[in-house]
Amino acid sequence: MARALLARLGQTVLVLFGISVLVFLVFFATPGADPTARIAGRNASPETMAAVRHAYGFDRPLPVQYLRLMDSLFVTRDLASFVDHGEKVVPEVMQAAPVTLSLVGGAAVVWIVASIAMGTVAAATRGSVLDRSLMMLGLVGISMPVFWLGEVANLVTQSRYHDTWLFSWVPGLGYVKLHEDPLGWFRHLVIPWCVLAVLFIGIYGRVLRADLVAASGEDFMRTARAKGLTETRVLLRHGLRTSLVTFVSLFGLDFAQLVGGGALLTEVVFGLQGVGRLTYQGLINLDLPLIMATVMYSAIFVVLANAVVDLVYLVLDPRVRDGR
Amino acid sequence: MRRRCLRSLGALLLLSAAATAPSVNVVQAPSADSDTSTDLPPVIAPGGQTIGSPHRGGTLRLTADAGAGTADPQINYNSEMISLQVVVYDGLTAFAKRPGEASNQPVADLAEALPPPEDGGLTYVFHLRRGVRFSDGREVGVQDVVASFRRIFKVNSPTAGGFYGGIVGADACLKDGLHCTLAGGVVGDEAARTVTFHLTHPDAEFFDKLSFPHAYVLPADTPARDLGNDAPPGTGPYRITSYDPNHGLTTERNPFFKVWSPEAQPDGYPDHITYSFGLTDEAEVTATENGDFDYMYDNVPLDRYGELGDRFADQVHINRVFGTYYLPMNVNLPPFNDIRVRQAINYAVNRRAMQTFYGGPAAASVLCQNVPVGLPGYEPYCPYTKGADFDHPATEWKAPDLARAKRLVAESGTRGMHVTLVVPNRAVEVAMGTYLQNMLRELGYDADVKPIAFAIQFTYIQNTNNKVQISINDWYADYPEPSDFLTALYGCENFHPGSDSSIDISGLCDHPFEDLVHRAALVSVTDKAAGAKLWAQADRLLVREAPDAPLIQFKKIELVSKRVGNFYTVNLYHMLFSQGWVR
Amino acid sequence: MSAALPVPVRVQGPWEAALRALLRIPSAVASLAVLLLLVLLSLSAPFYAHDVAHTDPFESDVAATVTLHGEEVPVMQPNHNRLHLGLTPIGPTWHADADLLGADSQGRDVAARLLYGGRNSLLISAAASVLCIVLAALVGICAGFFGGIVDVVLSRLMDIMWAIPVYLFAISLSIVTVSQGLQLGPFTIRSDNLLLPIAIIALVYVPYAARPIRGRVLSLRQAEFVLAARCLGVPRARILLRDILPNVSTTLIVLAPLVMALALLAESALSFLSIGVQAPAASWGTIIEDGQGLIYTRPAVAIAPGLAIVVTVLALNVLGDGLRDALDVRETGRRG
Repeated sequence: MARALLARLGQTVLVLFGISVLVFLVFFATPGADPTARIAGRNASPETMAAVRHAYGFDRPLPVQYLRLMDSLFVTRDLASFVDHGEKVVPEVMQAAPVTLSLVGGAAVVWIVASIAMGTVAAATRGSVLDRSLMMLGLVGISMPVFWLGEVANLVTQSRYHDTWLFSWVPGLGYVKLHEDPLGWFRHLVIPWCVLAVLFIGIYGRVLRADLVAASGEDFMRTARAKGLTETRVLLRHGLRTSLVTFVSLFGLDFAQLVGGGALLTEVVFGLQGVGRLTYQGLINLDLPLIMATVMYSAIFVVLANAVVDLVYLVLDPRVRDGR
Repeated sequence: MRRRCLRSLGALLLLSAAATAPSVNVVQAPSADSDTSTDLPPVIAPGGQTIGSPHRGGTLRLTADAGAGTADPQINYNSEMISLQVVVYDGLTAFAKRPGEASNQPVADLAEALPPPEDGGLTYVFHLRRGVRFSDGREVGVQDVVASFRRIFKVNSPTAGGFYGGIVGADACLKDGLHCTLAGGVVGDEAARTVTFHLTHPDAEFFDKLSFPHAYVLPADTPARDLGNDAPPGTGPYRITSYDPNHGLTTERNPFFKVWSPEAQPDGYPDHITYSFGLTDEAEVTATENGDFDYMYDNVPLDRYGELGDRFADQVHINRVFGTYYLPMNVNLPPFNDIRVRQAINYAVNRRAMQTFYGGPAAASVLCQNVPVGLPGYEPYCPYTKGADFDHPATEWKAPDLARAKRLVAESGTRGMHVTLVVPNRAVEVAMGTYLQNMLRELGYDADVKPIAFAIQFTYIQNTNNKVQISINDWYADYPEPSDFLTALYGCENFHPGSDSSIDISGLCDHPFEDLVHRAALVSVTDKAAGAKLWAQADRLLVREAPDAPLIQFKKIELVSKRVGNFYTVNLYHMLFSQGWVR
Repeated sequence: MSAALPVPVRVQGPWEAALRALLRIPSAVASLAVLLLLVLLSLSAPFYAHDVAHTDPFESDVAATVTLHGEEVPVMQPNHNRLHLGLTPIGPTWHADADLLGADSQGRDVAARLLYGGRNSLLISAAASVLCIVLAALVGICAGFFGGIVDVVLSRLMDIMWAIPVYLFAISLSIVTVSQGLQLGPFTIRSDNLLLPIAIIALVYVPYAARPIRGRVLSLRQAEFVLAARCLGVPRARILLRDILPNVSTTLIVLAPLVMALALLAESALSFLSIGVQAPAASWGTIIEDGQGLIYTRPAVAIAPGLAIVVTVLALNVLGDGLRDALDVRETGRRG
């Protein structure tokens, strides 16, 4: 067990190393990405450019720059943004993490509940009008870009119908802390949750339905049916568990990426200052320290989540264990 | 500054946007052209005093999509921060807080009066005011002024070379900032309370440069490094109490502030001015309409213009800005190394369409020359419109002359060449670029338009290594002088091959033009009017040389909440926050 | 378990049988018809633009006018309020010869662009999703079936691909290709080459599709029929092809249309960075992108291509369901 854990840890370090080197190299391979001129300011004289280049160490060899960057990111943790020079990226990411966790956690609950309901109902009523319309609804959800959907949600709830009874409860965009104002926290986040969840409800509902339908042909399901259980019970009791393999695999990937900052468009459109918004700021400003910090943060979650998913496989389908 | 605006799209993993880049500050212009809708014209507080006014108090809440860089006033070059720093810091001089053209004039701020030039414009002796205190209670002294000018070089201020390189001793300071003394350049005399400046050459814009934020006076013991989020003490009516570029900024009254000159630095009405960061531009509009914020910094997105006019016209203020869009053409690369091609582009470009992409005639005016309306040296002049030429110039642009353009292209023999137009991926520029690609194809070129990341585009197009043929750029004045549009953008000294900081994007280095602008600068030291004539002449020379195609001069559309009164703008900055009423 | 055990003799080829079975399912036939119609409509774009709408959807013209109810109307309509701020493109007129679905902010006919855009969108998304699913199947099956070091290497590689910010690569690539194309050995790929978005999008979603497939294979390889086949000494390759692949095909068939939907949207992000579809050309994604700037005034610009995507993906899903039924011998056996 300890060995497996150590091995996994070693792999994680390798993954982080690989990603950081790739990001670093891509950044410096991009023509025009040299941050010197952007730090020095508009129309800086050649002398000022040289002074800034030296002060930030951009005149050193790339491996040295890489090591210095990693050192200030992981060891001294005083890495500052190239754009907002006073912004220390590590504390900034830590401060943003709860916001993202609130957004993604809530959305995950919404999409898990909704997609399981949708998938099982559709599978149980397979071929019916209900099945078809649920699946169609799911596809509509997939086909709507989240940024567009968020803007439309804001248009309806903040602008056009803000003064009507329907949406007068919606607070202005932003985030309040859960422990300071639980109700306000909920009201600020309920619309972002739904908007973020829409895409995943469509995907997961669709995937679950297909796996349930496939599972219904398997022997153990037939046995269950033969025992005289109702179709719904069979589906929920026996079908759902084995059908969750795809579901859980996708969830691991999506959840990890979103918690790591993948929900950037949702966070931006709803003014939530989470990791996603930091990622967004990093990317639009091509701010290497911020990009590196958010990418490393995200990578840790991706590796972690996949380790957890591998464990969940064991619970879902005992056959996996036998193969180990 | 080249401003940020959000523009994103909805892929799951990929996103797109536009962002911040270097910065500039914005100059606004006279109210003749402005459409302010308050009943009474806004006024500065009588005598600069707000104590006792019923409007004094409350919090003015500002919103912007993101933070504004460092809080160090000698380094920050971002109009978002600069427009706030105006009420926090002072220099020896300041642009007058008076309405209209009067706000183009530098007036004495921490200095008692504007000194007359001595030694033929090589020496200025400033007498420092007594009794002005920093927000930490210490009185401003001669050593603070001297130290602040040294600090410009110690912290590698962006304008150290451009604006302050003409001070004696600046050369050594630029080479070795840490040991900068400016010996013989900035000399303080404690006993006489004077600060004497010695220049290497006469400079008509010396007071403008002293009024620029990088020359704000800070305490002498301010550390010689970028202060990041910790704003140093200043002398204005407000002091910055906290700043976090990801969340917001707060200010409170400077308890040691007393009015010393109403036109340099009046007292403020609101007790607090706060900034909140993090909303998209669309969300900023909605929140300001709803009264959640009092003022939005970013540009109003185009699809909200109709709604503003229909329902919120009273809360909108439109002011002319000394800012332009233009197409720099690389005079060292084919096909634009042929003057006929550059002139052809000027004849062919539909400036009316460019105006439409910026929001129509109410949001921008067409421009056919380099110096924008409202600056000295502007004289209506347009050879590039249908029915006009260099011998018969029109006074304003009417319509493109495609036939003449095609003829010029045919003469140049460059038809069929491949041309790539590089634009930043912001909505406005992409729209302009798409339109211009059409035009280039019509002229017979194999034209591409390449939108690239906004953060990089500005430096990318400057570097000659990237071999950019033609691009779209916008430019705001740092201070209200024509040189900011002529010498700055086309002077030989601003062309640095192979560098990302080479603001002469078209790579022009033309000796007749150089001679003319130097003469204009020299004459302006003693005779502004005669200088303006020469600047106008230089502009015409440039229009003929055509290193660029000027497109439009835009306006600033400012949205405030219902409760804001006394909306007061000065030319160089946006709304003057200290004068807004929230009560 | 007839499907799982190698059956030596078959009367009919499996693919032929599947096709016949597929054509017996009405919904599958209907969805095939819809897809065909979409392709035909896209191909008819020049005809529509030239002979029906009488417009050039690649020509920006903000001074254009259209004739509506006998009246000449400007395409870019000024706002007649007190401030005279801004112009709004004409909305849907429901007249095919006068901006049926309205115009975008360049004054171009949205309906005509939608038809032209269908070509690029269908091509890119179909190719990207097929490439993605094939790669994902390869990676997922190998990782799951061989396990051990193969699994570790492939899985961590997928982790890296999933965690990396694609946008950064896209920015970099877009700037590298501004003046000259991407140099790959003897080949030069220009930034308007559709292979770029196809490859990028396919690679982005490989981990997403590979991971669940690996999960399935992990449990499949201990299933009775696979163990049985192994004991019988059936070669690994044969087990993979005959036993594992058909059993993960359900997942593949479900994921393919979903990946296609995601690809249709992702394409616009790349084209915004001038990779792939370039101005003035259109794709559904770029039209949605144009429409995002008009949300508050002309929502139809973004909704129209969105609906086109829904219809495409819906048809593919129904087809996928039919295909799965047709391929699944157990199912057809029971039904038949």
